[in-house]
Amino acid sequence: MSLLTTEEGKRRLLTVEIPAIETYNKDRLPEYKIVVERIGSALLLRYRLKPGHNIYQLETRLLSSYPTIPPETRVTTPLRHCPHLLEGQTMCLWRQGSTRATSRWDPSKYTVVFAVQATWRWLACYEIWHETGEWPLPEAK
Amino acid sequence: MRLFQVGAGSGGMVVLDLLMRESCVTHVTLIDPDIYKAHNGIRHYFPPSAIGRTKVELAAEWCGERRADFIVESLAIDLLDPNHQAELEAAVQACDVGICAVDSEPAKYHFDLLMRRAAKPWTMGEVLSGGIGGWVHRFIPEQACYGCVASHLQRSIVTDNSPPPDYSNPDGMVAETTIPASKASIDAIASLHALLTLDMLEGTAHDFTSLLWTLKRVPGMFDEAFRPYRFRIVRRPDCLICRPPTVNPVQEDLDVALNQALSRLADQ
Repeated sequence: MSLLTTEEGKRRLLTVEIPAIETYNKDRLPEYKIVVERIGSALLLRYRLKPGHNIYQLETRLLSSYPTIPPETRVTTPLRHCPHLLEGQTMCLWRQGSTRATSRWDPSKYTVVFAVQATWRWLACYEIWHETGEWPLPEAK
Repeated sequence: MRLFQVGAGSGGMVVLDLLMRESCVTHVTLIDPDIYKAHNGIRHYFPPSAIGRTKVELAAEWCGERRADFIVESLAIDLLDPNHQAELEAAVQACDVGICAVDSEPAKYHFDLLMRRAAKPWTMGEVLSGGIGGWVHRFIPEQACYGCVASHLQRSIVTDNSPPPDYSNPDGMVAETTIPASKASIDAIASLHALLTLDMLEGTAHDFTSLLWTLKRVPGMFDEAFRPYRFRIVRRPDCLICRPPTVNPVQEDLDVALNQALSRLADQ
């Protein structure tokens, strides 16, 4: 399924993803709403999150193979190098076959808003790690 | 009977070889873009002289040498290639049963989509890393889709209690966690795959969706070797992959609606 070019991809966006984003945005302060941009065959979501004391700028990319392939999320706010942060400040959020439900992307259940929530959780962990030196959640397996 | 098969690798070729020997099976459309390479030799039927040729071309020759009346329509294309979707849809429409013998998750989901669109039954085989066992799944129209099955199995089955290597994840994104399976284990699971496909062609009903067959004892994972586990997985009404569409606009309206929705979200 190609997200922006196939009928199934368009239906997924129209009936699942976009309503979920609109529900997320409803009654939210304008600066915290998700903004969506079409970039070639992908969609780019830009948004801010404030899990604790700091505000972070984020980008979540839905590639043409989404939702089979999980969304990729990158923090554009500079961070200290830390666990679970990949090249280009891309977050390590998903692991195929993980025993922890929230670390396992499931295209039959999750929308991109779940990925935004997972990003919030990751950033909350980052803030604790920043203060204590310890990542508060155990290593995902 | 006519088959639509994707994958002519070490497992897919065994399934095809076993099915083409049945007189009721007369035709296959075989999809695989891969070229036969030197490293394939240890687990494949084809000789070293075949290196460099497409697997579908070799598969067609293999079948032709054994059964002259068996028709192989071979397509060396990627299942996901947007330029070939009309051709693929026509082949799926013409088949009686689909056979999925690929490793990549996007290809499995796309195979599922093609089969659901055409309301055709299909089967899929998966060998676990290290050849410790494998799965054969049966998909029936209007019942659980691949999304329902994958979601259910990940949720309910403990498959990676032990540290890496991750046996549960044969096609995982982390290359170092995969371990090659022996040809014997690939052939064992592929043979089960062929048997269940034949049952499907004959209309034999089973009360399970997925069959897990262990081939080795793995502490913390499989208590016994050579033990079957049957799973009956029902279609989830809330599955985002196969639930009926809540809106049903025609293609042009779909494009207009999508452009409008994306414009709204761009102006936040």
